[in-house]
Amino acid sequence: MRFPSSSLFLCGLLCSVAGAADTVKVVVRTTLDEKPVADAVVSATPLDQSAPPAAADETFQIEQKDQEFQPYVTAVQVGARVNFPNRDTVQHHVYSLSKPKRFEIPLYKSGASETVVFDTPGIITIGCNIHDWMLAYIVVLPTPYFAKTDSTGAAALPPLPPGRYRLEVWHPRAPAPLVQEITSAPEQNAVLEFAVALKPDKRIRRAPGGKSSDY
Amino acid sequence: MALPSFQFHRFSTRLVCLLLGLLAGALGIVYLLIDRANRANAIDHIDQNLRNGALIFHQNLTERIDYLAGSAKVMSGDAAIKPLLQQEVLDAATLRTTLVSYTHRVKAPVITLFSPDGKMLASTDEVLGEENMRPFRHLIQEATDKDMEQASDYSYLGGKLHILVVVPLYAPFPNIAAWFGLAYPIDQAFAQAIKKTTQLEVTFVSSPKDGAPRVLSTTLSPAMAAQVAHRIGMDDSGTAGITQILTLDHEPYVSLYEKLPLLGEFPVHIALQRSLATEMAPAIQLQNSMLKISLAALAVACLAALWLARGLSEPVQLLARHTRLVAAGDYSQSINLPREDELGQLATAFNQMTAGLAERDRVRNLLGMVVSPEIATQLLKSDLKLGGEEREVTILFCDLRDFTSLSEKMPPTEVLALLNRYLDRMSTIIEQHGGVIDKYIGDAIMALFGAPVAIPDAAARAITAARAMGDALEDLNRQLTAEGRPRLTFGIGINTARVVAGNMGSKTRLNYTVIGDGVNLASRLETQTKEPAHQTLIIVSEATAVAAGVAKNLRFLGSMQVKGKSDSIRTYAVDVLPRPWQERT
Repeated sequence: MRFPSSSLFLCGLLCSVAGAADTVKVVVRTTLDEKPVADAVVSATPLDQSAPPAAADETFQIEQKDQEFQPYVTAVQVGARVNFPNRDTVQHHVYSLSKPKRFEIPLYKSGASETVVFDTPGIITIGCNIHDWMLAYIVVLPTPYFAKTDSTGAAALPPLPPGRYRLEVWHPRAPAPLVQEITSAPEQNAVLEFAVALKPDKRIRRAPGGKSSDY
Repeated sequence: MALPSFQFHRFSTRLVCLLLGLLAGALGIVYLLIDRANRANAIDHIDQNLRNGALIFHQNLTERIDYLAGSAKVMSGDAAIKPLLQQEVLDAATLRTTLVSYTHRVKAPVITLFSPDGKMLASTDEVLGEENMRPFRHLIQEATDKDMEQASDYSYLGGKLHILVVVPLYAPFPNIAAWFGLAYPIDQAFAQAIKKTTQLEVTFVSSPKDGAPRVLSTTLSPAMAAQVAHRIGMDDSGTAGITQILTLDHEPYVSLYEKLPLLGEFPVHIALQRSLATEMAPAIQLQNSMLKISLAALAVACLAALWLARGLSEPVQLLARHTRLVAAGDYSQSINLPREDELGQLATAFNQMTAGLAERDRVRNLLGMVVSPEIATQLLKSDLKLGGEEREVTILFCDLRDFTSLSEKMPPTEVLALLNRYLDRMSTIIEQHGGVIDKYIGDAIMALFGAPVAIPDAAARAITAARAMGDALEDLNRQLTAEGRPRLTFGIGINTARVVAGNMGSKTRLNYTVIGDGVNLASRLETQTKEPAHQTLIIVSEATAVAAGVAKNLRFLGSMQVKGKSDSIRTYAVDVLPRPWQERT
């Protein structure tokens, strides 16, 4: 096995998953106070076989509402389509300068929407040109075996065919993704626990709705 | 004015009081001077701080304006907002959220966008009414008129003090497509920031045209800030730029007032203050230490003074005790004071004096034996000068009859013993009667009554003494007869005359005696007793008889011619019973 980067490390059952499971569950917590980490993307990329392609018509949605992107983190398989509907009262100008996918949806009003195809794996950071605090991530993965942790920090991967996999855990505030090789075997369940040292949340705190009671 | 005088019975108390008083006074004055200097220094220091604080405050404002203007210029160059302004219908809501986004970039809580003609397009602050836009419009007008790239001033927004800055949105330069109006509050946080930099209390007070001044923001407690506002309301003019001491909550604060002119409003007052107590805290700590040291020094000085005083007063008391002993006549004690100082010298001198006194006393006793005590006293009293004084003296001469022939029949030692026995008796009687032995002339006695000490009844005493001597001789003769020794007989002559009494002799050897004709007469009268016809042992002159006032009790012998005298002398016999001459015959 390979140890992860210094800030992400394994604990718990780790690679004793000699005859790993057909379902893999992952729990991610912070290193210091062991708080559950939500919005972490866990993915398993097969090493011995090629990953099955994404469904052709699979479309994800990142909406703009109350001057925020919803959801904050979206994981998709390569080739997926992501729709950006404006469900807000104000206009938005969605853009990305990330290398895997650079795009722009200039100012568009409520009710309008645009769809973008993501065909290169990688992390795409989404922003709004006129609202600095608006921020979203799209994790484009070369595998259909992925999941996002919920508020308890838990994520369950889809059933994995037997074989070796590269397990990767990514989070916007993790300095680097945690990578680990696992082997999946039938009729076996495993829970993998990860601890991640998160960087401080630097997201812009919005002024309270612009309705400052101070004025 | 009469001061109450304190009498210290003890020297040591006085010394201690003096030392402690002086030291305490000196320390007190030093303490007060230091306290005054510290206070003045603290006030000076605060004054300097306040003026620096005022400078920093103004500098802060300037920097804030520059920062706002700089940020606003960068912000106005942002392309993102331009498509919004290009739209057919202005989307005010989106524009507003865009401005909110800008507030994060420029750290100004209020950003308003105006059209070139001053119409408000959007504002991050929805509740700011049209009336708050006036100062912005004024600035835009000013900047437009003067073709400035920015304009700034101070004004109230929603009742709160703000720095206002307007910068144009060029699209493209120098075409002004819109104006950004930025506002930065001079609020509690701003005051705290000033305090953090300057360590000064900062209070902003509005001064409306009518009504009481209002505290806009302060680093002081609300109650104290209210007092500052009240003070500013009291003397609105004339206080600016002058440092004053203001008492807040019973604590002195050195205060400096500044005025900040406002756009179209009455100026805002800025009070910069620092607590004198805080400034003086280190000095007070030092003073407290000094006070403790001073008290310790006083205590040590007290002990030292006591020790010193005891070292001084104990020998003095010892000397006083010894002086009393000496005064009582005890010369046997000497003071043992092994000291090198003046007290030691005094003790040595005292011991020498005691020894001297003892010596003199011894000399006096010896003198009393050699001469009669009265003469001794007279000698000691006088300066032992030659010469004398004329005075009336009764002279008594007593001579043993036929003692020379008697002594030839006896060994000399027995003669001396007999003579001493006789002289002792006679001398005692003379002295008992107030007479003074002038001298012994062999077996003769010369005695004085009325010299050296004048006595009023000298003559009578002399006669009485002569009678007693006669009786004593009888008594002595009875004893001598019993012892188988020969009887003694004497003759006494008494005369009273004015003679010269005094010290006679050489400069080195003196005798107190009397000299004069009267003395010789007494001797002659004694010789006359040898005349059997007179039938008496004692002959007195008329002068004595008159002086004694006993002439009628005496037997008149008649006028006799005395050897060496031209005039005849009237004489009287003093009869003693039984008459020895009868026995003898």
